[in-house]
Amino acid sequence: MKHLKSLNRKAQLLEQAVAQGKTEDVVAMQSVVGCTSTNDPGWEVDPFGGLGSLCQPMESDLYGCADACWWPAQVPDTMNTHPGWSQDVAKANEDWRQIDSIFPEED
Amino acid sequence: MNTNLKRTLSATGTLALAGLVASPLSAQTLDGAQLVQERCISCHTRQADGTLSRIGEQRKTPEGWMTTINRMQHQRGLRLSADERRAIIKYLADSQGLAPSETASKRYLLEQTPNITDDTPGQYAEMCARCHSGARFALQRRSETEWNRLVHFHMGQYPTLEFHALSRDRAWFELAVNDVVPQLARDFPLQTQAWTDWQQAEKHSPAGRWVVAGYLPGKGEYSAVLTLQAKGDDRFALLLTGQFADGSVLEGKGAAVLYTGYELRAGLTVNGQKMRQVLSLSENGQELSGRMFPKGATEMGGEISAARSQAAAVLAISPAYIREGETRTVTLTGSQLDDRRIRLDGGLKLEKVVSRNATQLVLKLSAMEGATPGMRTIQAGAAKTRIALYSTLARVGVVPANSIARIGGNGGKQPKVNAAYRAVGYALGADGKAGTEDDLALGYMPASWSLKPLTEAAAHDRDLDYAGTIDARGVFTPGDAGLNPQRKMSTNNVGHLAVVGTVKTAQQDMQGQASLLVTVQDFVKSALQ
Repeated sequence: MKHLKSLNRKAQLLEQAVAQGKTEDVVAMQSVVGCTSTNDPGWEVDPFGGLGSLCQPMESDLYGCADACWWPAQVPDTMNTHPGWSQDVAKANEDWRQIDSIFPEED
Repeated sequence: MNTNLKRTLSATGTLALAGLVASPLSAQTLDGAQLVQERCISCHTRQADGTLSRIGEQRKTPEGWMTTINRMQHQRGLRLSADERRAIIKYLADSQGLAPSETASKRYLLEQTPNITDDTPGQYAEMCARCHSGARFALQRRSETEWNRLVHFHMGQYPTLEFHALSRDRAWFELAVNDVVPQLARDFPLQTQAWTDWQQAEKHSPAGRWVVAGYLPGKGEYSAVLTLQAKGDDRFALLLTGQFADGSVLEGKGAAVLYTGYELRAGLTVNGQKMRQVLSLSENGQELSGRMFPKGATEMGGEISAARSQAAAVLAISPAYIREGETRTVTLTGSQLDDRRIRLDGGLKLEKVVSRNATQLVLKLSAMEGATPGMRTIQAGAAKTRIALYSTLARVGVVPANSIARIGGNGGKQPKVNAAYRAVGYALGADGKAGTEDDLALGYMPASWSLKPLTEAAAHDRDLDYAGTIDARGVFTPGDAGLNPQRKMSTNNVGHLAVVGTVKTAQQDMQGQASLLVTVQDFVKSALQ
C-alpha cells in the first residue's frame, strides 16, 4: 500500500482495516450463512465488515441492484430469473412497503 | 415468476419447508415414480437405464428436490397439484437421497439454524459460497457431467455473475469447469458406498412415544412427550405435550412425513403458533434430533432432541454446572430416569429427590467444598449424564458470536428477522489457568442483556438509537424497515452493535459479547440458503 494514496473515505477505511489487522474479523462476519460475501459493494456488509460503505438507504438503488444483479441470492435478478419482481412499484424509495420478497414455497 | 403468481405465493406468507409437510392425512397416495416418468418426460429424455436425463444423475435432500421442483414449476412451466408435488419430492428423496453420514456435517442448513459461520474451503468459497452457503452444494451428489452442467446453469440463469469480483478479474468459467467441477465430482460423487449401504440398511419407523428436550428463544427450555402415530406411506400424526421450565404448558398437534428413511419433517401448531420440525432419525431408530422453529421465523427456533420413552437416556441437564461448596437444584430431562438408583461421582452429594415425572427428574445436589474442578457423572438408573463441578468462573461467551438481524415491518411486506442469544460459561480447569484446554464448559447460564455500539462508526451514526432493542430473554428485535429521515441521508435503521451478556455469580459479574450486524432485508427466500 505504500505506493498508493487513499483519496476518498472508502479507501481510507480500507487502509485503516488493513493497518489495524481487522481483515480476519471481516471474513468472519461475511461468512454468516444467508449473507453474500460478494462485497464490492456488499448487500449486508461492506468490505470492512461494517455498514459505512453500503449504499444507503437501500431503497434508493434497489432496482439498480436487481437489474444488473450483484447479489442474486439476496436480491431478485430481474434481468433473467424474476423479470416481473416489483414491476408494479415504480419508485422503491417511495413505495417500498409494496415490495415483496420472492417466496419459493407453497403451503 | 410473474407478478400475479408471486403475489399468490407470497400472500400465503409461507416459508421454507412448507411443501415438505404432510397434506391432510386422508389425501390419496400417488405414485411418485410414475409421476416423474409421466410429467418430466416432456423435457427430460429417457436414457438406456430407464432413468430420465439430468434427474437420474443427481441425489439431493428433500429440501434440495423441493427447490428443484419449485424452479421447474415457477420458471419452466411445470404444472403440478400440491399432492403430485409432494409425491414427486417424496419419491426422489427416497430413491435419490443422501445417506445419514452424507448430511451429518451440514444439517445446520436443513435445520435452518441461523447465524452459522460457514467454513467452506477456499476454492469453493470463492466460486460458490460467495453467494450462498457451502452446504447448499455439499448437500448434493452428482456425476461429473452433472456438476459441469450446474456451472453452465449458473452462467445461463445468472449471467450478471460475470460482474462480480472473482469473476470479472479472472478466467472464472475455465476455473470452474476445469478445476472446481472435477473437485466437486471427487468430493460429492453420485455413487458412494455410504448411499449403497444406506439403501440396503434396515430402516426403522419413528412411530411411537418419545421423550423430548428442547429450547425456544424467548420461552426457554422445555420437556415434552412426542407421540408419532403411523398413518401409512411414511406419514404420521403428531402430538406434543409438555411444559416449559417456567411451568407453562406446551401443547402441539400436527403431521409429519419421513423421507429417505431418516429425514422427518413435521408441521404442527404449538400453543396456537404454526411451527416446523426438521428432525433426523438415528440409524438405529432410537434417537431424534434437530430443530423446531416458528413458520416464517426460523431464527426464533431452537434445538430439539428425543429418545424412545422406554429407553433410559438423559437428553438435557439444566443447569449443567455446580460450584464447589454450593447446593443447587438440577433438572434432568429424559426417559426412564430412576430416582431410586441415583449414583454420583466423587465431590457430589444427593441432598434429596425434589420431584419426578414422565420426562424430568429434579434433584437437589451439593458439591463438596474444595472439590477438584472437572466433569462429574450423574446416573439415574441406566441413564447418565455429566455435570461440570467448578470453582472459578473464568469467562463468559455469547452465542452466536457473529450474527445478523434484518429490519422489517413498519407496514412493509417483510417481517423483521430477530436474533436470539444465550450466554455460555467457562470455568478454570484443574490447572487453574484460563484459556487452556482443560477449561470447563459450564453450558448455558442465565444472563442480563444490553447493547452497545460495536465500532466508532456505529457510535458516530448513533446506531444504538435506531437499530433495535434487546429484551430480558436475550431476544433482539431490529428496527423498522424503510427510509429513516431522522438519520443522515435517510439511512435505514441498520447498525453494528455488540450484544453484551452479563452473568452474575456470588463472587463476581462477568460479561461476554457477540457481534451483531443489523442489516437490510433479504428479498429472495430459499429452503436452502
